[in-house]
Amino acid sequence: MSFIEIQCSEVLSSVIFIIEDELETVPQAAQINSHLTHCAPCTAEIEHERLMHQMLADVLKRSCNEQAPEELRQNIHRQIREQMGSYTGATEVVTQFSMTEISIEVDEFGNIEHREIQIEQTHIQHFIDDED
Amino acid sequence: MTSKDLVLESAADRTTRFERDALVFTNQLYAAALRYTKNPEDARDLVQDTYLKAFTSFHQFEEGTNLRAWLYRVLTTTFINSYRKGQRQPLIADNELEDWQVAKAQSHTSDQGKSAETVALESLPDSDIKRALQEIPEEFRMVVYLADVEGFSYKEIAEIVGAPAGTVMSRLHRGRKQLREKLADYAKELGYSTESSDKPSSKKGGSK
Repeated sequence: MSFIEIQCSEVLSSVIFIIEDELETVPQAAQINSHLTHCAPCTAEIEHERLMHQMLADVLKRSCNEQAPEELRQNIHRQIREQMGSYTGATEVVTQFSMTEISIEVDEFGNIEHREIQIEQTHIQHFIDDED
Repeated sequence: MTSKDLVLESAADRTTRFERDALVFTNQLYAAALRYTKNPEDARDLVQDTYLKAFTSFHQFEEGTNLRAWLYRVLTTTFINSYRKGQRQPLIADNELEDWQVAKAQSHTSDQGKSAETVALESLPDSDIKRALQEIPEEFRMVVYLADVEGFSYKEIAEIVGAPAGTVMSRLHRGRKQLREKLADYAKELGYSTESSDKPSSKKGGSK
């Protein structure tokens, strides 16, 4: 093995990035890829890690699929309706403006500078509805 | 100047929209709340509080963005701010990144260790899987759950739990590792394991 190559231990400590398909965020990504092309034990280890991760995710999904109790659904629904009651009689008006400012400057040397500035504004108003 | 939109939404319309779009996640949020709080009473309260908070700030939710991720963020912050206080666990040390990136001299797992782990995952009942999840630290449990059960990307998880992406990656790695070690231990206790003395946790022991 030459000096620029990296050790198995370094490849294995980046295994999470490989499993998550985020190897490119690791500084030694190129060396790791190159290491994996000729190191069978590391390649096998990564395969094992992928398999284990898949199996772990599968058992977790299978185990953690509780249904919310009916009572909870009813409580949520009631709570939301109560909360809405405190809003009724009011209407919300949301106005959104957007403006783009474009400037083009030509200097004495003929260089052109082009700028665009986008300005957005949101305005929210609440109106109390008239009671009948 | 152009006036892009003039949105008029009555309280009743917004309520209908909320109920239509957000309530479909009740089961998922409840299952997540069970992982966070570890008990059904608190989980119910947490989900109810989450929906109330989400509803009252629903106008801030940008339509077209990920509603499910937004609800999980509300759930997670509500949990961290209100529920965790009573059952607070020691927080993980700040040096969690270095701990796994630098310090460990990793070695290859033996074939025996590999098959023992596979057997553990294939044989254990749901109750043991949930117990193992409950026993790992909260910060690990949350990210593993969000990634592996809910399928959020680590960047989405970073937003949901309010931690840097690198921290999420580290917690994901360590959380899964601890979970697997626990499951392997349970399997061994139950006699499912095929291996003898060579534990898979010999991985811990340093390089070959």
